[in-house]
Amino acid sequence: MEKTAAKKTTKVDKRAKLIEQFKNHVLENGKEPVSVFKFTQSLKMKEVDFYAFFSSFTGIKRAIWQTFFKETISILNNQEVYNEYSGREKLLAFFYTWIEELKNNRSYLLTLYGTDKLPKSSLPKELGGFRQDFKEYVNEILQVGEETEEIASRPFISEKYDEALWLQVLFIFRFWIKDHSEGFEKTDEAIEKSVNLAFDLMGKSALDTFIDFAKFLHQSK
Amino acid sequence: MREERKEQGQIPVGKVQRAAKFISTGAKVGGNYIKHYAKKIADPKLSREELDNDNATDIYDSLSQLKGSALKVAQMMSMDRNMLPRAYQERFSMAQYSAPPLSYPLVVKTFQKYFSKTPEVLFDQFTRSAVNAASIGQVHQAVLKDKKLAVKIQYPGVADSISSDLKLVRPFALRLLNISEKELSHYLAEVEERLIEETDYELEVKRSKEISAECAHIPNLAFPQYYEELSCERVITMDWLTGNHIKEWLLKKPSQKDRNRIGQALWDFYHHQVHELKQVHADPHPGNFIILEDGKLGIIDFGCVKVIPEDFYQGYFSLIKKELVANQEELDKIFYSLEFISDQDTEEEKRFFKSIFKEMISLIGKPFHEENFDFADNNYFDQIYELSDRVSNDKMFKKSRQARGSRHGLYVNRTYFGLYSLLNQLGAKVDTTKPDWLL
Repeated sequence: MEKTAAKKTTKVDKRAKLIEQFKNHVLENGKEPVSVFKFTQSLKMKEVDFYAFFSSFTGIKRAIWQTFFKETISILNNQEVYNEYSGREKLLAFFYTWIEELKNNRSYLLTLYGTDKLPKSSLPKELGGFRQDFKEYVNEILQVGEETEEIASRPFISEKYDEALWLQVLFIFRFWIKDHSEGFEKTDEAIEKSVNLAFDLMGKSALDTFIDFAKFLHQSK
Repeated sequence: MREERKEQGQIPVGKVQRAAKFISTGAKVGGNYIKHYAKKIADPKLSREELDNDNATDIYDSLSQLKGSALKVAQMMSMDRNMLPRAYQERFSMAQYSAPPLSYPLVVKTFQKYFSKTPEVLFDQFTRSAVNAASIGQVHQAVLKDKKLAVKIQYPGVADSISSDLKLVRPFALRLLNISEKELSHYLAEVEERLIEETDYELEVKRSKEISAECAHIPNLAFPQYYEELSCERVITMDWLTGNHIKEWLLKKPSQKDRNRIGQALWDFYHHQVHELKQVHADPHPGNFIILEDGKLGIIDFGCVKVIPEDFYQGYFSLIKKELVANQEELDKIFYSLEFISDQDTEEEKRFFKSIFKEMISLIGKPFHEENFDFADNNYFDQIYELSDRVSNDKMFKKSRQARGSRHGLYVNRTYFGLYSLLNQLGAKVDTTKPDWLL
């Protein structure tokens, strides 16, 4: 998919070409280019032209993550049924489509983030842009969810929902990277179950009723 | 919709949690026994039935939260009514209707993976939520060119989890079925093989087409048409059969004549499969049958098919010959060939098991001994329960160092018990036809 897009625009869109070539380099050499200088030299470009689009390789990797996200959203928007989905279903559909997108680039991702390469706690810098985009996207779902009461609004905690769902993105990504099941079926299960858990936790539950009751007792003392 | 989804969120994730679920049930069952004996000290008249009832509720509650093979085992146990105390049966037969749904996005994804198209593109209409749950999948209703279709979709990862699920079920099966460790392993190997076959939807379509073509000539039966081009490893598309399940149909108080007609169709269906095709729809639970508006018996779901090996067939069915019970020598030969008794047994064991098996055979074979048989006769079923109760509480069986009975017998027995109990539910009187070589 990336390839055809790149072909059409080689002459006009240097940015896309840079991204494409960077990916190819990673795929063929099993690592990032040594330096921007070496990289542009191999492309017969001036180093300066690179900086017109990206400040570093991190910038390219960042753009790649954002392309996956954009592509996912545009596929979703093309599915008629997507707009009729509840929040829970929207997020499920997002993850399924996103993982499909990633599958097209699994070798690239495995090279950069394969076993042990993804840090446990801190994020690689290049995920920043994707994180921002995802949070914006998911906040929209959450807002609608609160309006339809699919999601309970709780003081203090509600503001952290988007962050929690972002952690879920990382969880699913890690799961998929390590998944050896046929057709990544285990990842499908992980998505199904974790999204359901997340929405059950965010939905109104016995806990809310309990807190409400506790508050009442406290206040009417 | 929200309520429905909520159920699914409560399904325990992963093996550890599932194991935890089972352990908590185990603890509860143990607790029930303690409660029972504590109560019994206070009130010696307390019946075992009450205890079984408590246990059945707890075990059912825990099994109903599992999908896949555990549910399948629950179904099996509910089928093999002879093996289960009555209290368990009711609860387990409920399990057959309650599996939580798969999300629609995952359904869409499955379709895209196998057909590269969404269900909306493939069909003119497609229901967003499942209309029916099966143990390893769910059914959606679709319309294509004015034809109503049933589309069965398998849960992801079912095939992978069968072995680990069966391991989890072991301690329960041991306790519930009251059999020796060895005997259980002997049977679970057979169960595992069948379950793995059941996850192969391509095989199911192939078998469905074969068997329905072979049985097409039997009066009062109806089979859906299967659509190979709309089926794959994980999806089966077939005609939607409109009608009632047996339980619903019986609520409408059909006449004795109608009940006999359905019962006869059922009997003929099994007769033809067992004796002519030597492979049989081994899942005769009520959910797999639909009584159509025109009064025919519709048969769905050929997931579980048992192929009957020739040598087992000969031995097993020669047992239904009435005069055989008197012929000790020939009977012994068959008992050996069906692995009921072996040379490892002591003389005492041999004598004991022979007499028990003889009793079983003459009881189970009873419908075959007459021209026709009235399955509405509850006395007959009580005799079966009484015998199996006696067997399951007998020390000789628990002590037995070896598994008894050929593994092929498991599904053939299950089929016949299923058939008998369906006929009993129908209250049908049927002509019990026998194969020519037995006449």
